[in-house]
Amino acid sequence: MNKILLILLISTQIQAQIFLGNSGNISFFSETPIENITAVNDNVSAVFDASNNDLVFQLNISDFIFPNALMQEHFNENYLESDKYPNSTFSGTVTNWDNDNATVEGKLTIHGITNKITANGSFVNNGDFISIVANLSVKLDDYNIKIPTIVMYKIAENIKVHIDIKLKINK
Amino acid sequence: MRVFFFFLIFYMPYFLNAQDYLLSLLAKDKSPVYVSYLFKGTKIVNGQSVELQAKDILQFNIQHRFGPLNSGAYNLYGLDFSQVRLSLEYGLNDWLSVGVGRSSSTKVIDANSKFRLKRQIVNGFPVTIVINSVICLKQIPSSNLLNSNSNGVYDNLSYTHQILFARKITRNLSLQFTPTFIHYNFVEIKNNDRFSLGFGGRQKLTRRISLNTEFFYQLNEIINKNVLSIGFDIETGGHVFQLHLSNSPHMIDTDFITNTTGNFLKGDIFFGFNISRVFTLK
Repeated sequence: MNKILLILLISTQIQAQIFLGNSGNISFFSETPIENITAVNDNVSAVFDASNNDLVFQLNISDFIFPNALMQEHFNENYLESDKYPNSTFSGTVTNWDNDNATVEGKLTIHGITNKITANGSFVNNGDFISIVANLSVKLDDYNIKIPTIVMYKIAENIKVHIDIKLKINK
Repeated sequence: MRVFFFFLIFYMPYFLNAQDYLLSLLAKDKSPVYVSYLFKGTKIVNGQSVELQAKDILQFNIQHRFGPLNSGAYNLYGLDFSQVRLSLEYGLNDWLSVGVGRSSSTKVIDANSKFRLKRQIVNGFPVTIVINSVICLKQIPSSNLLNSNSNGVYDNLSYTHQILFARKITRNLSLQFTPTFIHYNFVEIKNNDRFSLGFGGRQKLTRRISLNTEFFYQLNEIINKNVLSIGFDIETGGHVFQLHLSNSPHMIDTDFITNTTGNFLKGDIFFGFNISRVFTLK
């Protein structure tokens, strides 16, 4: 009885194939006729569990770097309130993995508000590494991010987000 | 029963939400989280705040001060007089910034450097500490320089040294304590060295408007008054407008801390505003 149990335990531990990454890149673009704004975060971390196709992302809001320090201050202080909501997370599942493309569904939390999203992107498994590249669009209103009328024409309602991360198998 | 416990312990992660378990693997490293944005601007009202200009950012300031409110309707309550200080501030590094400026009415050229020693850390170091040093040169007509009693430029130099301690107490309230030492190379009435204690605060009223106050208490000065200033910072997206009332008409540390003769309570109040524009140099 005990031997069977032990085999069962070991087999489940091996089965969990976990891929980890800590220096992924997420950038976003706001495009309006007046101004284009872009910011980059190079400290994105993510985990993928190959046993059940679960995928999670996490980043610190204050790690986004803007070319203009004043914009960065407004982003942290007024829009994303990074002292109150220091990070953003995504937790979801790869639902459709076909060749090197995949569809991911899950919950995205920004500014303390969680929404269900679906994203498509390239999802390449090279044995020890998985590289993920995807684009998605985030509507500011969905996350209760309020833009004052005075700068309304400078900030897009829908922000384009670009994700690029490499995960390494965790042994 | 023991078998049951074995199951419970080894399979615990599987009873939890699998994704929450994965998120827990990502628990961030314990690097310190710095407290940022204690004040909106590099100045509280007239005096420096612990904020430094960010690296590679050049800020151009135009500061205006009008005459005293109690100067009567003939002078449109001070608006007929106006003086200006033009200045540039530049961030050499995230912890070091430098500036130059010139005040119109007192004809003072100033240069300063701000150096950040420590930053406030969430659940860690309690305050942000900055050292500010200013050197001021009062311009005089060249004919005075030929006066044999004068030591030339040397006589017209003065220095300010401050240690700024500030703490963000809540997300809306920041307080600052600023011990200040000022030295004049030449004074007509004694006291080359003067000490003051500065107190400042910022209370955010909305996300974009804050109320700032500043008080400089003179420790060994008999001629000059304590300086009280109240101002609003209004953020408009592109830049910050600062509107304020003070019993000092001056805009540079040496002058406003030690050359203030106005009495706030008697209506010697000067209205002023600052406009700034930032440029990114890279």
